[in-house]
Amino acid sequence: MTKEIQIEGEFIELIQRHQNIIHKICFIYSKNRSDREDLYQEIILQLWKSYPTFGQRSAFSTWMYRVALNTAISATKKFWFLPETELADIGYEDENMSDMSEDIRILYRGISKLAKVEKAIILLWLESKSYEEIAETTGISVKNVSVKLVRIKARLAEIIKKMQ
Amino acid sequence: MNNTDLEKYKSAWKEEKSFREAVLTDSEIRAYIVKRSKGLTASFKAGLLLDIILKIILGISFIALIVLFRGKIGIAGVCTGSLLILIYLLWSHITTYRKIPGQDEYSGDIQNFLKSRIDFYRTKFLKTVYVIALTNPFVFLSGMLYYFYFKYGIIRPLDIIDIIIFGTLCIVGFALGALVQVKQYNFQVLQLEECLKEFEEGEINENTLRRHKKQKRAILIIFIIALIVGLLLLGILLL
Repeated sequence: MTKEIQIEGEFIELIQRHQNIIHKICFIYSKNRSDREDLYQEIILQLWKSYPTFGQRSAFSTWMYRVALNTAISATKKFWFLPETELADIGYEDENMSDMSEDIRILYRGISKLAKVEKAIILLWLESKSYEEIAETTGISVKNVSVKLVRIKARLAEIIKKMQ
Repeated sequence: MNNTDLEKYKSAWKEEKSFREAVLTDSEIRAYIVKRSKGLTASFKAGLLLDIILKIILGISFIALIVLFRGKIGIAGVCTGSLLILIYLLWSHITTYRKIPGQDEYSGDIQNFLKSRIDFYRTKFLKTVYVIALTNPFVFLSGMLYYFYFKYGIIRPLDIIDIIIFGTLCIVGFALGALVQVKQYNFQVLQLEECLKEFEEGEINENTLRRHKKQKRAILIIFIIALIVGLLLLGILLL
């Protein structure tokens, strides 16, 4: 029991130290506050359940990116009979975004038009991860990362340009 | 706008205060880790467990029916057959449950994670959905036998109209259960497949998709044949 409490304490401390990763992933992968809350919960839960598999072969933050991105990407829309809610309909500027800079709002709107895997790659690029690190996290070759990144950046730039 | 303009947004991303300032408290994290997952695997697991419990209860109810109808060879035979089928279906569920992808895959790369999940859902899920849907005809069958026993004390021989109505109700029960779930899970699994296609540029995955489609058709045909044969046997025994 004491050991369990110790592990839980250690986990909570690590999450608090690296929580900005979760905030960023949830920010990119959710369309509104309720989505974001669900994703926070799911990511932290999966991190906790996967924590015994964290073998310290990689840095905690690297491991955290993987678990959190796998969780965010595999989080599917729940019901086929519910209509897709458009970002514009729900108003992306919820209370969490009101404090953010205009550039971040524009970036968010642009990224929201990308596909899930594209979002992961661009997020890792925004986080200044190397091509090798992006390749390791996504499972594609370094060469493929560079090709995809060029395409995704061009697409994102195009989307942002259209929005302005 | 060229790519270099994105550097401005990258800098803004790096400098954004709200990411650094947002704080998850100790108690919030503790509250999150005790909650239940809302993910696809968790809902699949929950559905499987619920059906295992339901099938165990049904199994017990068929044992009781065998005892109640011990003098009637036909009905006791139907109940024994149903019990044996339920045991086989339970075993199939338990095997599937053991094969649910483990937590360690979350620590792997995105592409392999998606591949493994999709492969599991496409090969095991469909079979499981049909096995779950088969619970409905068995609930109907045992319910009907209990009703006749307690209301009339006997089960009169069924005529062809009875068999048709009874058979139709069983098929409708099975089809409704299966259709809703297949539609729901297909909707969710397709979303994962879309993500995987992004990696594979929609080419490499074609073979896998073709294989999954073939398996899907084969599983459906096997279950329909099994259901029809089962109903025919049931009809012959109860006539």
